[in-house]
Amino acid sequence: MKTPGLSVQLAPDNRRGLLLANPVMTASGTFGYGAEYAEVMDIQKLGAIICKGTTLKPRTGNPQPRLVETAGGVLNSIGMENIGIEALVREKAPVWAGWNVPVIVNILGESAEDYAALARRLDGVAGVSGIEVNISCPNVDAGGIEFGSSPEAAAAVTAAARANTTLPLIVKLSPNVTDITSIARAVIEAGADAVSLINTLKGMAIDLVSRRPVMGNVSGGLSGPAIKPVALHMVYQVAKAVKIPVIGCGGIATAGDALEFIMTGASAIQVGTATFSNPHAPLDVLQGIEDFMKKEGVSQLAELIGAAA
Amino acid sequence: MKRIDATIVSSEELWDGAFFLWVRAPEIATVARAGQYVMVRCGEGCDMPLRRPLSIHRVSRDGSIAFLFAVVGRGTEWLAQRSKGDSLDLFGPLGRGFEVLPASGNLLLIAGGMGIAPLVALADQAVESDRSVTLLIGYRTASQIYPQSLLPSGIETVVATEDGSLGTKGMVTDLLPEYIADTDQVFACGPLPMYKKMAEMTDITNGKPVQVLLETVLGCGVGACLGCTIETLNGNRRVCKDGPVFELKEVVWDKIIAPAASGGIDNANLV
Ligand SMILES: Cc1cc2nc3c(=O)[nH]c(=O)nc-3n(C[C@H](O)[C@H](O)[C@H](O)COP(=O)(O)OP(=O)(O)OC[C@H]3O[C@@H](n4cnc5c(N)ncnc54)[C@H](O)[C@@H]3O)c2cc1C
Ligand SMILES: Cc1cc2nc3c(=O)[nH]c(=O)nc-3n(C[C@H](O)[C@H](O)[C@H](O)COP(=O)(O)O)c2cc1C
Repeated sequence: MKTPGLSVQLAPDNRRGLLLANPVMTASGTFGYGAEYAEVMDIQKLGAIICKGTTLKPRTGNPQPRLVETAGGVLNSIGMENIGIEALVREKAPVWAGWNVPVIVNILGESAEDYAALARRLDGVAGVSGIEVNISCPNVDAGGIEFGSSPEAAAAVTAAARANTTLPLIVKLSPNVTDITSIARAVIEAGADAVSLINTLKGMAIDLVSRRPVMGNVSGGLSGPAIKPVALHMVYQVAKAVKIPVIGCGGIATAGDALEFIMTGASAIQVGTATFSNPHAPLDVLQGIEDFMKKEGVSQLAELIGAAA
Repeated sequence: MKRIDATIVSSEELWDGAFFLWVRAPEIATVARAGQYVMVRCGEGCDMPLRRPLSIHRVSRDGSIAFLFAVVGRGTEWLAQRSKGDSLDLFGPLGRGFEVLPASGNLLLIAGGMGIAPLVALADQAVESDRSVTLLIGYRTASQIYPQSLLPSGIETVVATEDGSLGTKGMVTDLLPEYIADTDQVFACGPLPMYKKMAEMTDITNGKPVQVLLETVLGCGVGACLGCTIETLNGNRRVCKDGPVFELKEVVWDKIIAPAASGGIDNANLV
């Protein structure tokens, strides 16, 4: 059988489009700026790389400890440490411009104006193929409630970004909400080309000896295999509710995991925490998807998307 | 850095809860340097999503590397149960190792307990390049010590125990003033209080370069996830990639916190 068709278009309604050679992306915050893994794997084979969440100003992040292992999962509270948008445009984007693999910049801010400014700064920068808007962060003007937890706030930051860039816009949804479909609908209305989900689930762990929270910042975000069923169900709900591409993320470690998300309605997937235990995980997942399609006689990925929904 | 499946050549419990493991790993052995580490995958399937970092303890010419580790939790417990012939999933070597300055002929190595692990590799390297090595080792008590027979020959070793059951009674840092005079460069590995103590002994170290190996919980091992970042005088640094070896005077010590004694999955064992 000939090589199965793996390419996916994640921004069909955007003028530039976001065409990926395959559906495997690396999740923001777990893959640095891509170059960190260049020595470990052929990163050019990936569908896309999503870089570390980036803010207007550089941020130093939270105190240690920032990582705690829990049953089948990892709690992290990095605190959005990043180099800031100017250093990203100056130092990282020129490197990406020479790559085949598209790089998508994950952005986050404290106000709608921050998102607007970030989107504007990235517009037209060579090496940047799209923006992933991280809405799982506190809205300073609204007393610290996450943008991602209300349809109005989520729509407001999406609209702010949309108005300032022609780049394809993916909005990354938070799972820490009552009804994720209402947020998804709101951000699509505001101009999102695609949605990705899920970001981490809020969690914590206690040190019994000191009788204190283990994490330096008290709580953290849970990722890894432990969250996969939750993520899968949310992808199922959102994919049924919307018509734009859905990108699945959360606990994907194997091709089998990825295919579950695809059959549930995801057009593409992101591998995150799994790369820590298996540094080749993203490419192993890609190979496994291709092998599965060959074995099952599937010629186009599209045949599998939503097959189980 | 490579991810490889290595075969365990031997595993031995040197003292209560301290294991000495040789694995065949030519891809790592040929390039590893003292102070670098390997990320070891522990457990089965997705049981433990984080690998466990272990220092390069020894490198043999036939392509094997040794680890020396203490059983402190689930990962090291699992590792202690592996035996000869078992396969181990390794990722390494990683990080920036110790850097011996070309002009440093006399090296002073300071080990606190398990901190001996990376310093033996450094002592081996130093002896090979004809440097003179003095190794100060602090233990809790005489029954839990690294066997003298395993130390490289041709180095001077001085022992302190907290209970006085062997060598000088006290902490290893108490030995520092006596041995530092003829030293060109100091290298240390041990618990955080030992480093904090050393950082206060500036009148004794007196401008000599001191390198320490720092431990935090690591995620990716390649500088991508920023889980291990510490504060230094030169800004944030990643323990996994910019370290784990740092200049003592570069680290902002009052901002460094020891990992929690329990928490996360460990608490499950308490039921
Ligand atoms: C660069 C580096 C090199 C290391 N080299 C060695 C070595 O050669 N020999 C050795 O015995 N140990 C070494 N360690 C420490 C070792 O990695 C931890 O003891 C191990 O990860 C604990 O795993 P666990 O599952 O057994 O314990 P866990 O259940 O994960 O934790 C048990 C206890 O250990 C603490 N802990 C967990 N991870 C670390 C860590 N990375 N550093 C310090 N404390 C931790 C936890 O807070 C807890 O108190 C090194 C650590 C680093 C960062
Ligand atoms: C260490 C770490 C850092 C992360 N940083 C970011 C970030 O900067 N921006 C973001 O949108 N998501 C971030 N995430 C969330 C991941 O991108 C992903 O949504 C989540 O981890 C679930 O996927 P996984 O289970 O495959 O890791 C981070 C996750 C981890 C573990």
